[in-house]
Amino acid sequence: MSARDTSAPRRILRQSFENRLSHWLIAISTFVLIFSGFGQMPMYARYGIAALPGMAWAADYHLTLAIHYLAGAVLVFAVVFHVLGAVLTERYTIVPRRGDVKESAQIIAAMLGRGEEPPSHKYLAEQRLAYAFIGANILLVALTGIVKVVKNLPGIEMNNTVIFISTTIHNVAAVFIILGIVGHLAAFLIKANRALLPAMFSGYVDRAYAEERHPLWYTELRPEQVEPASMESDT
Amino acid sequence: MDVMSRREFLFRSAAAGAAGASVLALPKAAVAAEVDTSGSIGTFIDLTKCIGCGLCTDACRVKNEARYPEPVDDIPVNWPTGRYEDWSDKRDLTDRFTPYNWTFVEKVDIDGQQINIPRKCMHCDNPPCANLCPFSVKEKDKNGAVVIDHNGCMGGAKCRDVCPWEVPQRQAGVGLYMKIVPGLMGGGVMYKCDLCTDLLDQGQQPACVSACPTGAQQIGPKEEMKQLAQVRAAGIGGHLYGADENGGTSTFYVSPVPFEQIDKAIARRKAELPEPMQKSVPTMAPDVENYLDTTSGLATSYAIAPIAGVTAAAWAAARAWKGGSE
Repeated sequence: MSARDTSAPRRILRQSFENRLSHWLIAISTFVLIFSGFGQMPMYARYGIAALPGMAWAADYHLTLAIHYLAGAVLVFAVVFHVLGAVLTERYTIVPRRGDVKESAQIIAAMLGRGEEPPSHKYLAEQRLAYAFIGANILLVALTGIVKVVKNLPGIEMNNTVIFISTTIHNVAAVFIILGIVGHLAAFLIKANRALLPAMFSGYVDRAYAEERHPLWYTELRPEQVEPASMESDT
Repeated sequence: MDVMSRREFLFRSAAAGAAGASVLALPKAAVAAEVDTSGSIGTFIDLTKCIGCGLCTDACRVKNEARYPEPVDDIPVNWPTGRYEDWSDKRDLTDRFTPYNWTFVEKVDIDGQQINIPRKCMHCDNPPCANLCPFSVKEKDKNGAVVIDHNGCMGGAKCRDVCPWEVPQRQAGVGLYMKIVPGLMGGGVMYKCDLCTDLLDQGQQPACVSACPTGAQQIGPKEEMKQLAQVRAAGIGGHLYGADENGGTSTFYVSPVPFEQIDKAIARRKAELPEPMQKSVPTMAPDVENYLDTTSGLATSYAIAPIAGVTAAAWAAARAWKGGSE
Protein backbone atom coordinates (compact mmCIF):
# COMPACT_ATOMS: atom_id res chain seq x y z
CA MET A 1 0.00 0.00 0.00
CA SER A 2 1.37 3.40 -0.87
CA ALA A 3 0.62 6.57 1.06
CA ARG A 4 -1.64 7.82 -1.66
CA ASP A 5 -3.82 4.75 -1.35
CA THR A 6 -4.83 5.72 2.16
CA SER A 7 -7.97 7.74 2.18
CA ALA A 8 -7.24 11.24 3.41
CA PRO A 9 -4.72 10.54 6.13
CA ARG A 10 -4.48 13.37 8.62
CA ARG A 11 -0.94 13.04 9.87
CA ILE A 12 2.31 11.44 8.84
CA LEU A 13 4.80 9.90 11.26
CA ARG A 14 8.02 11.81 10.60
CA GLN A 15 10.20 11.18 13.64
CA SER A 16 10.38 7.80 15.33
CA PHE A 17 10.58 7.46 19.09
CA GLU A 18 14.31 6.72 18.70
CA ASN A 19 14.89 9.90 16.68
CA ARG A 20 13.00 12.01 19.17
CA LEU A 21 14.83 10.39 22.08
CA SER A 22 18.27 11.02 20.62
CA HIS A 23 17.32 14.56 19.53
CA TRP A 24 16.11 15.57 22.98
CA LEU A 25 18.89 13.82 24.86
CA ILE A 26 21.42 15.63 22.66
CA ALA A 27 19.55 18.93 22.94
CA ILE A 28 19.15 18.86 26.71
CA SER A 29 22.65 17.56 27.42
CA THR A 30 24.12 20.14 25.02
CA PHE A 31 22.36 22.99 26.79
CA VAL A 32 23.58 21.72 30.16
CA LEU A 33 27.07 21.30 28.68
CA ILE A 34 27.09 24.82 27.29
CA PHE A 35 26.06 26.31 30.63
CA SER A 36 28.42 24.19 32.72
CA GLY A 37 31.14 24.60 30.11
CA PHE A 38 31.02 28.37 30.33
CA GLY A 39 31.15 27.78 34.07
CA GLN A 40 34.63 26.33 33.54
CA MET A 41 35.75 29.77 32.53
CA PRO A 42 35.81 32.16 35.41
CA MET A 43 32.85 34.10 34.09
CA TYR A 44 29.81 33.49 36.28
CA ALA A 45 31.44 35.17 39.28
CA ARG A 46 33.01 37.90 37.16
CA TYR A 47 29.87 38.83 35.27
CA GLY A 48 27.49 38.66 38.21
CA ILE A 49 25.57 35.53 37.17
CA ALA A 50 26.46 33.89 40.48
CA ALA A 51 25.13 36.93 42.31
CA LEU A 52 21.62 36.35 40.93
CA PRO A 53 19.21 34.75 43.40
CA GLY A 54 19.71 30.99 43.55
CA MET A 55 22.68 31.06 41.17
CA ALA A 56 25.61 31.07 43.61
CA TRP A 57 26.37 27.46 42.66
CA ALA A 58 27.21 28.54 39.11
CA ALA A 59 30.57 29.90 40.28
CA ASP A 60 31.54 26.61 41.93
CA TYR A 61 33.89 24.90 39.45
CA HIS A 62 33.68 21.74 41.48
CA LEU A 63 29.95 21.48 40.93
CA THR A 64 29.80 22.74 37.36
CA LEU A 65 32.61 20.38 36.37
CA ALA A 66 30.74 17.40 37.85
CA ILE A 67 27.61 18.51 35.96
CA HIS A 68 29.70 18.89 32.78
CA TYR A 69 31.03 15.35 33.17
CA LEU A 70 27.57 13.83 33.69
CA ALA A 71 25.94 15.76 30.85
CA GLY A 72 28.90 14.80 28.65
CA ALA A 73 28.28 11.14 29.37
CA VAL A 74 24.61 11.57 28.39
CA LEU A 75 25.74 13.23 25.13
CA VAL A 76 28.15 10.38 24.37
CA PHE A 77 25.35 7.87 24.99
CA ALA A 78 22.96 9.76 22.70
CA VAL A 79 25.55 10.20 19.93
CA VAL A 80 26.49 6.50 19.95
CA PHE A 81 22.80 5.54 20.03
CA HIS A 82 21.97 7.89 17.15
CA VAL A 83 24.93 7.13 14.87
CA LEU A 84 24.97 3.38 15.40
CA GLY A 85 21.18 3.22 15.14
CA ALA A 86 21.33 4.96 11.75
CA VAL A 87 24.08 2.64 10.52
CA LEU A 88 22.34 -0.55 11.67
CA THR A 89 19.04 0.43 10.06
CA GLU A 90 20.77 2.01 7.04
CA ARG A 91 18.82 5.23 7.36
CA TYR A 92 20.86 8.08 5.96
CA THR A 93 18.07 10.44 4.91
CA ILE A 94 19.66 13.31 6.87
CA VAL A 95 23.18 12.82 5.54
CA PRO A 96 24.20 15.54 3.03
CA ARG A 97 24.18 14.60 -0.64
CA ARG A 98 25.98 15.89 -3.71
CA GLY A 99 24.47 19.18 -4.84
CA ASP A 100 23.06 20.13 -1.43
CA VAL A 101 24.81 23.50 -1.35
CA LYS A 102 23.33 24.52 -4.70
CA GLU A 103 19.91 23.19 -3.75
CA SER A 104 20.02 25.08 -0.44
CA ALA A 105 20.63 28.27 -2.37
CA GLN A 106 17.57 27.51 -4.49
CA ILE A 107 15.43 26.92 -1.41
CA ILE A 108 16.53 30.16 0.19
CA ALA A 109 15.92 32.00 -3.09
CA ALA A 110 12.44 30.47 -3.23
CA MET A 111 11.73 31.67 0.30
CA LEU A 112 12.64 35.15 -0.86
CA GLY A 113 10.18 34.81 -3.70
CA ARG A 114 12.66 34.01 -6.45
CA GLY A 115 11.90 30.82 -8.29
CA GLU A 116 10.32 27.55 -7.26
CA GLU A 117 11.45 25.49 -4.28
CA PRO A 118 12.91 22.22 -5.57
CA PRO A 119 11.05 19.07 -4.45
CA SER A 120 12.57 17.65 -1.27
CA HIS A 121 13.08 14.28 0.28
CA LYS A 122 12.50 13.79 4.00
CA TYR A 123 14.87 16.67 4.69
CA LEU A 124 15.51 19.85 2.77
CA ALA A 125 19.06 20.18 1.43
CA GLU A 126 19.75 22.95 3.94
CA GLN A 127 18.52 20.77 6.79
CA ARG A 128 20.97 18.06 5.78
CA LEU A 129 23.79 20.61 5.71
CA ALA A 130 22.78 22.03 9.08
CA TYR A 131 22.71 18.52 10.52
CA ALA A 132 26.22 17.84 9.20
CA PHE A 133 27.51 21.11 10.63
CA ILE A 134 26.07 20.61 14.10
CA GLY A 135 26.77 16.88 14.04
CA ALA A 136 30.41 17.28 13.08
CA ASN A 137 30.98 19.83 15.82
CA ILE A 138 29.23 17.66 18.39
CA LEU A 139 31.51 14.78 17.38
CA LEU A 140 34.50 17.10 17.83
CA VAL A 141 33.49 18.31 21.31
CA ALA A 142 32.64 14.78 22.38
CA LEU A 143 35.93 13.29 21.20
CA THR A 144 38.07 16.11 22.55
CA GLY A 145 36.01 16.08 25.73
CA ILE A 146 36.88 12.43 26.26
CA VAL A 147 40.56 13.31 25.74
CA LYS A 148 40.18 15.97 28.43
CA VAL A 149 38.49 13.54 30.82
CA VAL A 150 41.33 11.05 30.39
CA LYS A 151 43.89 13.84 30.84
CA ASN A 152 42.33 14.77 34.19
CA LEU A 153 42.73 11.25 35.60
CA PRO A 154 45.48 10.76 38.15
CA GLY A 155 48.52 8.95 36.80
CA ILE A 156 47.91 10.00 33.19
CA GLU A 157 50.77 11.88 31.55
CA MET A 158 49.51 13.19 28.22
CA ASN A 159 51.51 15.03 25.59
CA ASN A 160 51.11 18.78 26.15
CA THR A 161 50.54 19.50 22.45
CA VAL A 162 47.73 16.95 22.33
CA ILE A 163 46.17 18.59 25.38
CA PHE A 164 46.42 22.10 23.93
CA ILE A 165 45.03 21.08 20.53
CA SER A 166 42.18 19.12 22.14
CA THR A 167 41.24 22.05 24.37
CA THR A 168 41.33 24.50 21.48
CA ILE A 169 39.19 22.26 19.25
CA HIS A 170 36.81 21.71 22.19
CA ASN A 171 36.39 25.45 22.72
CA VAL A 172 36.08 26.38 19.05
CA ALA A 173 33.66 23.54 18.25
CA ALA A 174 31.55 24.59 21.25
CA VAL A 175 31.25 28.09 19.80
CA PHE A 176 30.26 26.60 16.41
CA ILE A 177 27.62 24.47 18.14
CA ILE A 178 26.15 27.56 19.77
CA LEU A 179 26.05 29.27 16.36
CA GLY A 180 24.48 26.13 14.91
CA ILE A 181 21.80 26.08 17.61
CA VAL A 182 21.03 29.75 17.00
CA GLY A 183 20.63 28.97 13.29
CA HIS A 184 18.56 25.86 14.05
CA LEU A 185 16.15 27.84 16.22
CA ALA A 186 16.15 30.84 13.89
CA ALA A 187 14.82 28.54 11.15
CA PHE A 188 11.52 28.55 13.00
CA LEU A 189 11.21 32.29 12.47
CA ILE A 190 10.25 31.26 8.94
CA LYS A 191 6.62 30.25 8.98
CA ALA A 192 7.02 27.50 6.39
CA ASN A 193 9.32 25.59 8.74
CA ARG A 194 7.04 25.69 11.76
CA ALA A 195 4.92 22.79 10.55
CA LEU A 196 7.91 20.59 11.36
CA LEU A 197 7.83 21.45 15.07
CA PRO A 198 5.21 18.86 16.13
CA ALA A 199 7.38 16.11 14.60
CA MET A 200 9.92 16.47 17.37
CA PHE A 201 7.22 16.17 20.05
CA SER A 202 4.47 13.80 18.88
CA GLY A 203 6.49 12.48 15.95
CA TYR A 204 3.80 13.51 13.44
CA VAL A 205 3.52 16.24 10.83
CA ASP A 206 0.50 17.39 8.93
CA ARG A 207 -0.20 15.33 5.83
CA ALA A 208 -0.69 18.31 3.54
CA TYR A 209 2.62 19.77 4.64
CA ALA A 210 4.48 16.54 3.95
CA GLU A 211 2.90 16.23 0.54
CA GLU A 212 3.60 19.82 -0.43
CA ARG A 213 7.08 20.41 0.98
CA HIS A 214 8.55 16.92 0.98
CA PRO A 215 6.91 15.36 -2.08
CA LEU A 216 9.77 12.94 -2.75
CA TRP A 217 9.54 11.62 0.79
CA TYR A 218 5.74 11.54 0.68
CA THR A 219 5.70 9.18 -2.27
CA GLU A 220 8.06 6.81 -0.51
CA LEU A 221 6.18 6.59 2.77
CA ARG A 222 5.58 3.18 4.21
CA PRO A 223 2.00 2.39 5.22
CA GLU A 224 2.75 2.29 8.94
CA GLN A 225 3.92 5.88 8.77
CA VAL A 226 0.55 7.14 7.68
CA GLU A 227 -2.00 7.73 10.38
CA PRO A 228 -5.40 6.53 9.11
CA ALA A 229 -8.12 9.14 8.86
CA SER A 230 -10.40 7.23 11.17
CA MET A 231 -7.78 6.15 13.64
CA GLU A 232 -9.84 7.12 16.68
CA SER A 233 -12.87 5.10 15.60
CA ASP A 234 -10.73 2.07 14.83
CA THR A 235 -9.80 1.58 18.43
CA MET B 1 63.15 46.30 40.16
CA ASP B 2 62.01 49.29 42.14
CA VAL B 3 63.27 48.23 45.49
CA MET B 4 66.23 46.02 46.19
CA SER B 5 66.69 44.79 49.71
CA ARG B 6 70.11 44.92 51.33
CA ARG B 7 70.12 41.14 51.37
CA GLU B 8 69.23 41.00 47.71
CA PHE B 9 72.01 43.49 46.92
CA LEU B 10 74.50 41.32 48.79
CA PHE B 11 73.21 38.26 47.02
CA ARG B 12 73.62 39.87 43.63
CA SER B 13 77.11 41.04 44.46
CA ALA B 14 78.10 37.63 45.72
CA ALA B 15 76.62 35.86 42.73
CA ALA B 16 78.34 38.24 40.34
CA GLY B 17 81.65 37.77 42.13
CA ALA B 18 81.29 34.02 42.07
CA ALA B 19 80.52 34.07 38.40
CA GLY B 20 83.74 35.93 37.75
CA ALA B 21 86.09 34.14 40.07
CA SER B 22 84.40 30.89 41.10
CA VAL B 23 85.17 31.71 44.69
CA LEU B 24 83.86 28.76 46.69
CA ALA B 25 83.29 30.74 49.85
CA LEU B 26 80.45 32.61 48.13
CA PRO B 27 76.88 31.33 47.86
CA LYS B 28 76.43 28.30 45.69
CA ALA B 29 74.22 30.14 43.23
CA ALA B 30 76.82 30.65 40.57
CA VAL B 31 78.32 27.21 40.88
CA ALA B 32 75.08 25.29 40.52
CA ALA B 33 75.51 21.60 41.08
CA GLU B 34 74.59 19.10 38.43
CA VAL B 35 71.36 17.22 38.96
CA ASP B 36 69.96 14.12 37.30
CA THR B 37 67.00 15.48 35.37
CA SER B 38 66.30 12.46 33.23
CA GLY B 39 63.05 11.65 35.04
CA SER B 40 60.61 13.25 37.47
CA ILE B 41 62.25 15.72 39.80
CA GLY B 42 61.44 16.13 43.47
CA THR B 43 62.41 18.65 46.13
CA PHE B 44 63.12 17.70 49.73
CA ILE B 45 62.80 20.58 52.17
CA ASP B 46 64.09 19.92 55.65
CA LEU B 47 62.54 22.50 57.95
CA THR B 48 64.97 21.57 60.74
CA LYS B 49 67.73 23.04 58.58
CA CYS B 50 66.03 26.15 57.24
CA ILE B 51 67.31 29.23 59.05
CA GLY B 52 64.95 31.60 57.26
CA CYS B 53 67.74 33.63 55.65
CA GLY B 54 65.67 34.19 52.53
CA LEU B 55 68.52 33.66 50.08
CA CYS B 56 66.24 31.30 48.17
CA THR B 57 63.78 34.15 47.68
CA ASP B 58 66.54 36.49 46.55
CA ALA B 59 67.96 33.95 44.14
CA CYS B 60 64.52 33.37 42.65
CA ARG B 61 63.96 37.09 42.18
CA VAL B 62 67.31 37.60 40.50
CA LYS B 63 66.86 34.59 38.26
CA ASN B 64 63.32 35.49 37.17
CA GLU B 65 63.40 39.28 37.21
CA ALA B 66 63.48 39.50 33.44
CA ARG B 67 60.21 37.58 33.27
CA TYR B 68 58.32 39.74 35.75
CA PRO B 69 55.28 41.57 34.37
CA GLU B 70 55.63 45.16 33.23
CA PRO B 71 52.03 46.39 33.11
CA VAL B 72 50.81 49.41 31.23
CA ASP B 73 50.55 52.63 33.24
CA ASP B 74 46.81 52.84 32.81
CA ILE B 75 45.62 49.39 33.85
CA PRO B 76 42.06 48.79 32.60
CA VAL B 77 39.39 48.38 35.28
CA ASN B 78 37.56 45.08 34.89
CA TRP B 79 33.91 45.33 33.94
CA PRO B 80 31.61 44.84 35.77
CA THR B 81 33.51 44.20 39.00
CA GLY B 82 35.31 47.53 38.96
CA ARG B 83 38.44 45.81 40.25
CA TYR B 84 41.81 44.60 39.03
CA GLU B 85 44.84 43.03 40.66
CA ASP B 86 47.96 45.13 40.52
CA TRP B 87 51.08 44.15 42.45
CA SER B 88 53.46 46.26 40.39
CA ASP B 89 53.78 48.83 43.17
CA LYS B 90 54.43 46.08 45.72
CA ARG B 91 57.38 44.44 44.04
CA ASP B 92 59.42 44.56 47.21
CA LEU B 93 57.09 42.24 49.10
CA THR B 94 59.03 39.07 49.89
CA ASP B 95 56.82 37.47 52.55
CA ARG B 96 54.09 36.08 50.29
CA PHE B 97 53.36 34.97 46.75
CA THR B 98 52.98 37.81 44.27
CA PRO B 99 53.54 37.99 40.52
CA TYR B 100 56.95 39.40 41.51
CA ASN B 101 57.75 36.87 44.22
CA TRP B 102 57.45 33.21 43.38
CA THR B 103 58.98 31.77 46.54
CA PHE B 104 59.19 33.03 50.11
CA VAL B 105 59.94 31.85 53.62
CA GLU B 106 56.93 31.59 55.91
CA LYS B 107 57.97 32.05 59.52
CA VAL B 108 55.70 30.71 62.23
CA ASP B 109 56.04 30.45 65.95
CA ILE B 110 54.99 27.07 67.35
CA ASP B 111 55.18 26.96 71.14
CA GLY B 112 58.13 29.32 71.21
CA GLN B 113 59.97 27.52 68.42
CA GLN B 114 60.39 29.38 65.13
CA ILE B 115 59.76 27.21 62.11
CA ASN B 116 60.87 28.56 58.73
CA ILE B 117 59.05 27.15 55.74
CA PRO B 118 60.27 27.93 52.21
CA ARG B 119 57.10 28.09 50.14
CA LYS B 120 56.83 27.65 46.39
CA CYS B 121 54.72 25.74 43.93
CA MET B 122 54.41 22.11 45.02
CA HIS B 123 54.38 20.86 41.37
CA CYS B 124 51.58 18.35 41.88
CA ASP B 125 51.38 14.90 40.36
CA ASN B 126 47.92 15.63 38.94
CA PRO B 127 47.83 19.43 38.97
CA PRO B 128 44.27 20.82 39.02
CA CYS B 129 45.64 24.23 37.96
CA ALA B 130 46.97 22.85 34.67
CA ASN B 131 44.21 20.32 34.09
CA LEU B 132 41.44 22.84 34.65
CA CYS B 133 42.94 25.75 32.72
CA PRO B 134 40.16 26.59 30.22
CA PHE B 135 42.69 27.19 27.46
CA SER B 136 45.27 24.56 28.47
CA VAL B 137 48.04 27.14 28.53
CA LYS B 138 49.52 25.63 31.66
CA GLU B 139 51.40 22.41 31.23
CA LYS B 140 53.39 19.85 33.09
CA ASP B 141 56.91 19.27 31.82
CA LYS B 142 58.46 15.81 31.68
CA ASN B 143 60.49 16.65 34.77
CA GLY B 144 57.25 17.32 36.66
CA ALA B 145 57.44 21.12 36.64
CA VAL B 146 54.05 22.79 36.16
CA VAL B 147 54.62 25.78 33.89
CA ILE B 148 52.39 28.69 32.81
CA ASP B 149 52.57 29.99 29.25
CA HIS B 150 52.61 33.72 29.99
CA ASN B 151 51.81 34.50 26.36
CA GLY B 152 48.59 32.47 26.32
CA CYS B 153 47.24 33.18 29.80
CA MET B 154 44.09 35.32 30.03
CA GLY B 155 44.39 35.77 33.79
CA GLY B 156 41.05 34.32 34.85
CA ALA B 157 42.76 33.09 38.02
CA LYS B 158 40.86 29.81 38.01
CA CYS B 159 44.18 28.08 38.59
CA ARG B 160 44.57 29.98 41.85
CA ASP B 161 41.04 29.01 42.90
CA VAL B 162 41.58 25.30 42.30
CA CYS B 163 45.06 25.21 43.83
CA PRO B 164 44.92 24.17 47.50
CA TRP B 165 47.75 26.63 48.15
CA GLU B 166 46.61 29.48 45.89
CA VAL B 167 50.08 29.57 44.39
CA PRO B 168 49.54 31.32 41.01
CA GLN B 169 49.24 35.09 41.36
CA ARG B 170 47.68 37.54 38.94
CA GLN B 171 49.04 40.76 37.51
CA ALA B 172 46.68 42.96 35.52
CA GLY B 173 47.65 45.19 32.64
CA VAL B 174 49.83 42.66 30.83
CA GLY B 175 49.41 39.77 28.43
CA LEU B 176 47.02 38.49 25.82
CA TYR B 177 43.83 40.04 27.19
CA MET B 178 45.28 43.51 26.61
CA LYS B 179 45.23 42.74 22.87
CA ILE B 180 41.60 41.56 22.80
CA VAL B 181 39.01 43.51 24.79
CA PRO B 182 40.82 44.63 27.95
CA GLY B 183 38.44 45.44 30.76
CA LEU B 184 35.65 43.31 29.32
CA MET B 185 37.34 39.91 29.20
CA GLY B 186 40.33 38.40 30.99
CA GLY B 187 42.23 39.98 33.82
CA GLY B 188 45.98 39.69 33.33
CA VAL B 189 48.54 36.93 33.51
CA MET B 190 49.20 34.37 36.24
CA TYR B 191 52.72 33.93 37.61
CA LYS B 192 54.30 31.30 39.78
CA CYS B 193 57.38 29.14 40.36
CA ASP B 194 58.26 26.95 37.37
CA LEU B 195 60.91 24.97 39.27
CA CYS B 196 63.48 26.72 37.06
CA THR B 197 62.61 24.16 34.42
CA ASP B 198 65.05 25.84 32.03
CA LEU B 199 67.90 25.15 34.45
CA LEU B 200 66.67 21.59 35.02
CA ASP B 201 66.78 21.08 31.26
CA GLN B 202 70.46 21.93 31.43
CA GLY B 203 70.99 19.53 34.31
CA GLN B 204 71.28 22.36 36.84
CA GLN B 205 69.55 22.99 40.13
CA PRO B 206 66.80 25.59 40.52
CA ALA B 207 68.05 28.98 41.75
CA CYS B 208 66.44 28.63 45.19
CA VAL B 209 68.00 25.23 45.85
CA SER B 210 71.50 26.21 44.79
CA ALA B 211 71.26 29.39 46.88
CA CYS B 212 70.38 27.56 50.09
CA PRO B 213 73.41 27.87 52.40
CA THR B 214 72.33 25.15 54.83
CA GLY B 215 71.23 22.40 52.48
CA ALA B 216 67.66 22.68 53.74
CA GLN B 217 66.52 22.29 50.14
CA GLN B 218 67.66 19.39 48.00
CA ILE B 219 66.60 18.45 44.51
CA GLY B 220 66.95 15.20 42.64
CA PRO B 221 65.06 12.19 41.29
CA LYS B 222 61.59 12.38 42.82
CA GLU B 223 61.44 8.95 44.43
CA GLU B 224 64.89 9.47 45.90
CA MET B 225 63.85 12.80 47.44
CA LYS B 226 60.67 11.26 48.79
CA GLN B 227 62.65 8.49 50.44
CA LEU B 228 65.11 10.97 51.90
CA ALA B 229 62.19 12.89 53.37
CA GLN B 230 60.56 9.76 54.74
CA VAL B 231 63.79 8.59 56.33
CA ARG B 232 64.44 12.03 57.78
CA ALA B 233 60.90 12.30 59.15
CA ALA B 234 61.20 8.88 60.77
CA GLY B 235 64.65 9.73 62.10
CA ILE B 236 63.57 12.85 63.95
CA GLY B 237 60.10 11.61 64.84
CA GLY B 238 58.86 14.40 62.62
CA HIS B 239 56.16 14.94 60.05
CA LEU B 240 55.98 14.71 56.27
CA TYR B 241 54.01 17.03 53.97
CA GLY B 242 53.52 16.87 50.22
CA ALA B 243 53.69 13.14 49.52
CA ASP B 244 49.94 12.61 49.67
CA GLU B 245 48.49 16.11 49.74
CA ASN B 246 46.45 17.10 46.68
CA GLY B 247 46.84 13.54 45.41
CA GLY B 248 50.65 13.71 45.64
CA THR B 249 53.18 16.41 44.81
CA SER B 250 56.86 16.55 44.01
CA THR B 251 57.76 18.66 47.06
CA PHE B 252 58.41 16.91 50.36
CA TYR B 253 58.59 18.89 53.59
CA VAL B 254 59.85 17.42 56.84
CA SER B 255 58.96 19.26 60.00
CA PRO B 256 59.71 18.65 63.67
CA VAL B 257 56.19 19.90 64.54
CA PRO B 258 52.86 18.67 63.17
CA PHE B 259 51.66 20.43 60.03
CA GLU B 260 48.25 20.93 61.67
CA GLN B 261 49.95 23.43 63.98
CA ILE B 262 51.83 25.09 61.12
CA ASP B 263 48.59 25.32 59.14
CA LYS B 264 46.77 26.99 62.04
CA ALA B 265 49.61 29.44 62.62
CA ILE B 266 49.62 30.47 58.94
CA ALA B 267 45.84 30.73 58.95
CA ARG B 268 46.06 33.22 61.83
CA ARG B 269 48.47 35.43 59.87
CA LYS B 270 46.37 35.09 56.75
CA ALA B 271 43.23 36.16 58.59
CA GLU B 272 44.91 39.37 59.70
CA LEU B 273 45.64 40.45 56.13
CA PRO B 274 43.15 42.56 54.19
CA GLU B 275 40.88 40.38 52.02
CA PRO B 276 42.52 40.97 48.62
CA MET B 277 45.91 40.02 50.08
CA GLN B 278 44.77 36.80 51.73
CA LYS B 279 45.08 34.74 48.58
CA SER B 280 48.82 35.36 48.54
CA VAL B 281 49.54 33.48 51.77
CA PRO B 282 49.12 29.72 51.45
CA THR B 283 48.16 27.56 54.41
CA MET B 284 49.39 23.96 54.81
CA ALA B 285 46.28 21.90 55.45
CA PRO B 286 47.31 18.26 55.88
CA ASP B 287 45.72 15.71 53.55
CA VAL B 288 44.15 18.43 51.42
CA GLU B 289 42.16 16.77 48.64
CA ASN B 290 42.61 17.18 44.92
CA TYR B 291 39.99 19.22 43.09
CA LEU B 292 39.73 16.45 40.50
CA ASP B 293 38.96 13.59 42.92
CA THR B 294 35.21 13.81 42.31
CA THR B 295 35.52 13.92 38.56
CA SER B 296 37.94 10.99 38.55
CA GLY B 297 35.05 8.96 39.96
CA LEU B 298 32.66 10.35 37.37
CA ALA B 299 35.04 9.41 34.55
CA THR B 300 33.69 5.86 34.78
CA SER B 301 30.51 7.13 33.17
CA TYR B 302 32.49 7.57 29.94
CA ALA B 303 33.14 3.85 29.89
CA ILE B 304 29.47 3.08 30.55
CA ALA B 305 27.91 5.64 28.16
CA PRO B 306 29.17 4.15 24.85
CA ILE B 307 28.28 0.61 25.93
CA ALA B 308 24.81 1.77 26.88
CA GLY B 309 24.59 3.59 23.54
CA VAL B 310 25.51 0.44 21.59
CA THR B 311 22.98 -1.61 23.55
CA ALA B 312 20.21 0.92 23.00
CA ALA B 313 21.03 1.20 19.28
CA ALA B 314 20.91 -2.60 18.91
CA TRP B 315 17.52 -2.60 20.62
CA ALA B 316 16.25 0.16 18.33
CA ALA B 317 17.59 -1.60 15.23
CA ALA B 318 15.92 -4.85 16.25
CA ARG B 319 12.68 -2.96 16.67
CA ALA B 320 13.05 -1.42 13.20
CA TRP B 321 13.89 -4.76 11.57
CA LYS B 322 10.70 -6.18 13.00
CA GLY B 323 8.82 -3.52 11.04
CA GLY B 324 9.13 -0.46 13.20
CA SER B 325 8.78 3.12 12.18
CA GLU B 326 10.81 5.67 10.23
